[in-house]
Amino acid sequence: MDYIREKTPPVRENRLGACMAFGGSCCELSAQSKKGCLYNNNRTFSQSQGCQLTLSLAILNTIRDSVIVVHSPIGCGASLVAQAGIAKGFQKLRDPNAFGLRWINTNLDELDVVNGGEEKLRSAILYADREYRPSAIIVMNSCVPSLIGDDIDAVIEDLQKQVTAKIVPVHCEGFKTKIQATAYDAVYHGILRHLVGVEKYEDPDPVIPDELEELKEKYRISRTVNVLNVSSMSRMDEQELVKLLQSLDLNVRILPCYAHPDDFADSYEAALNVSICATHDDYFSEHMKTKYGVPFILETIPIGIANTNKWLLDIARVFRIEERAQKLIASEVGALEAVLTPYREFLTGKTALLGGGEIRILTTAELLHSLGIQILGLRGFHFDRYGEALLDQLLEDVPASERAIINIGTGQPFEQANLLARLKPDVFVGHPGGNGWANKQGIPVFPLFGQTYNYMGYLGVFEVARRLTRILKNTSYSRNIVKHARLPYRKDWYDQDPFSYIDQGVADQGMAL
Amino acid sequence: MSKFVERPRYVCALGGAVGTLKVLPRTIPILHAATGCGGNVALALNQAAGYLGSGYCAGQALSSTNASEREIVFGGEDRLTEQIANTIKLIDGDLYFVITGCMVEMIGDDIKNSIKKFDGGDVPVIGAETGGFHGNYYKGYEIVLKTLFRDFVEQKTVKDRKLVNLWGVVPIQDVFWKGNMALIKDLLTKLGYRVNTFFGDGETLDNLRHSAAATLNIVVSDTFGVEAAQVFQEVHGVPYISVPFPIGDHGSESFLRRVGSALGIANAFVDKVIEREQGYYYSYFERLGDVYSDLDLQRYAVVVGDSNYTQALARFLADDLGWLPELVVITDFLTDEQQDTVRRNFAGYESGIEPELVFDTDASNIGKYIAGHWGQSNGQRYFEGFNPGFILGSAIERDIAEKLGVPQLTVTYPISNRVVLDRGYAGYAGALRLTEDILSTLVGSR
Ligand code: SF4
Repeated sequence: MDYIREKTPPVRENRLGACMAFGGSCCELSAQSKKGCLYNNNRTFSQSQGCQLTLSLAILNTIRDSVIVVHSPIGCGASLVAQAGIAKGFQKLRDPNAFGLRWINTNLDELDVVNGGEEKLRSAILYADREYRPSAIIVMNSCVPSLIGDDIDAVIEDLQKQVTAKIVPVHCEGFKTKIQATAYDAVYHGILRHLVGVEKYEDPDPVIPDELEELKEKYRISRTVNVLNVSSMSRMDEQELVKLLQSLDLNVRILPCYAHPDDFADSYEAALNVSICATHDDYFSEHMKTKYGVPFILETIPIGIANTNKWLLDIARVFRIEERAQKLIASEVGALEAVLTPYREFLTGKTALLGGGEIRILTTAELLHSLGIQILGLRGFHFDRYGEALLDQLLEDVPASERAIINIGTGQPFEQANLLARLKPDVFVGHPGGNGWANKQGIPVFPLFGQTYNYMGYLGVFEVARRLTRILKNTSYSRNIVKHARLPYRKDWYDQDPFSYIDQGVADQGMAL
Repeated sequence: MSKFVERPRYVCALGGAVGTLKVLPRTIPILHAATGCGGNVALALNQAAGYLGSGYCAGQALSSTNASEREIVFGGEDRLTEQIANTIKLIDGDLYFVITGCMVEMIGDDIKNSIKKFDGGDVPVIGAETGGFHGNYYKGYEIVLKTLFRDFVEQKTVKDRKLVNLWGVVPIQDVFWKGNMALIKDLLTKLGYRVNTFFGDGETLDNLRHSAAATLNIVVSDTFGVEAAQVFQEVHGVPYISVPFPIGDHGSESFLRRVGSALGIANAFVDKVIEREQGYYYSYFERLGDVYSDLDLQRYAVVVGDSNYTQALARFLADDLGWLPELVVITDFLTDEQQDTVRRNFAGYESGIEPELVFDTDASNIGKYIAGHWGQSNGQRYFEGFNPGFILGSAIERDIAEKLGVPQLTVTYPISNRVVLDRGYAGYAGALRLTEDILSTLVGSR
């Protein structure tokens, strides 16, 4: 893969042929995906979703010692307003000196729409540098400047000469794609072009080459893996994965969330890039391979026993330490199985519907199944070849899931409401942001991820089992509100095909503007 | 010319429109905007507003055309027409309100062409252009109100002499809007009036529909909702007054007197209402005598927020609680003329306190103003300083409070470290809640 000579990355509609409008059975989805006939992205009725700018911020607002400049009218990047007062706590888990969120909005107004907004961008970057002296200034491009023709790259190139911070442009204009996950490519594109492989501010003293030191360094690199974390991971998740890899004598470097901009500079000095989730990392991993020859693994996410085992073995294979990994797995799984029994007893026979990112829901479904829960359906934000591989895996691991319903769409809680009313699961496992709706239907919710809880690795399996059991022990809250809350849909919606508003007609192949 | 904003504490006009419509009863906002605009503002209208929730049909459920390259290139009016038709089919509401984002306005989509097609249908469909570049949240609020007054409120020839309308308390941007509306309504009820607040408890769309029967519109703000009041007057002939948002005895007394005189209520009656309220208020306030004096709970204070809240908070702190709110930072976008009007509310304090007033949108500067006002310690032995200090502001001020080591209470938007349901700070009863919250912050960290 080699897009990084371009100023902007391609959108996922084109790069991965990703689909975000489908309804049917798991079996049908798998078959259609293989035939390559999944390219529906439109609905004749749709509900709001986020854009790639919003999602880009989920990663970028964790980067340490940097300032974000959102080049847009005053509202883009609004999620920062919600996080302003609370982000610091999460940053502090990784860096005791964290300072909370720092961002500037260029506040494009009616005049700028006519005259261009480059001057405001210039003044914002200069202010960010002067006021904070950060290591990096991250400039997010949005719809309006893109349409009026602001050349943010030219502004940045010019200012870089006067500014000590590294200026990183991120091209994440919302209207360019409906696949929100294009955000990850936009972010990594900026990081790859402007942070990876650039010089660090290191001690300029000439070092006399020391052969032994060099050898040691080489060895260290040959045992170093980059774990590519995601913003939906908690610190506990990270700690669990680091612990597992360290017990295989591997050095772990965690990127990109909560990293310092300088951490990227020599990030190619690694033996392996370890993805947590292909939806997040394929663009970065592929480019690191093309440009720096760093191999990667990307097949699965370490959620549930089966997938954690697979994840560890994939890594071990690269270092030819499979036997050690097998031993580690045997001891971990043995200890875990012993404590799972009471939770399995409680959870067996319960039913669930899951919603969220394709990678996360497919693996979480396997985890729930291993605890005795029956999967009635899945809702994925989008679907592409990485989902296809995991879906096939799920169909193999859990043959009963063939008939489970699968619905692809970002958000679209009207489809979710219809499915929940039909399937009446005991629990809805959902992506934060859309869970209140399920609660209002009287269905208890287990959040698909959370920044203060553990989900990954072996400890994650135990934690999920334990919390799921806790949540189902008292479901009074959802039972109470269902009597008094109501969803906005007309009654007859629940008798209709949940997928009636998926536009079968037009394929949106994401034209390049 | 406007400038960039460092850590803005508001979203755009589109966000203001979504926020305002989200809490208007049985109203279904329909967004015609680029793919992400709806989701972009959702968190700001929920988590940053004391965890308000998604509402009846907003958050992820917000109807939105999700315009992307196809619409940007070929125009999105057909897609909008389709979306309106299907929204009516699927979503149960009594008013459908189309709003726009920047992109569709810039490519020249005219929402009127789509809205026209629903004229004479079973349900009203109206709309307004609310693209983010028109301004911030307050602008969206203003545009929505104007459109409702023009296109939804019915003409009335017969007036109801005992009915008034009330706005200017901006939903969501004032996180305590619901409680505040109830509290102010309660004061006006004591003056003998029925009150439409449009957004508050017990309101229905019919109250809004028939609101032109009111005898007076009361805008509880010198800045927000004033233009809308002018439109109301033009279209429906109902006069308005604009009065500062009241918190505590001093603010509420002047509020009641001004409203009383505008409504032509006998002074003696207003006096009686005020007296009764004061009796209640001070019966609690005086209980604090012991703790206030024993622990010396008087503080220097900085107040940060919008022009509605800051004047009310500063007046309450100075004239009711006997504190020293010597620095006030107003973070709104205001014209010079509006700044002059706002400035007037910070004068004539009974306590003689004259707060230093600055207009600045940038969060980082607040620390500089504090240092400028109280000086910066260089470790000298004798130093005046911002001590003992207190900051009343938003969640953004948590950082500066922590840095300076002073207690802080989050009362202005964004509020992400508190859950807010029906709490309000307006009037007499609200000021008691505020006193509880402020003093609990102090005694809670003993
Ligand atoms: S879709 Fe465009 S205008 Fe809307 S929030 Fe995203 S970047 Fe901003």
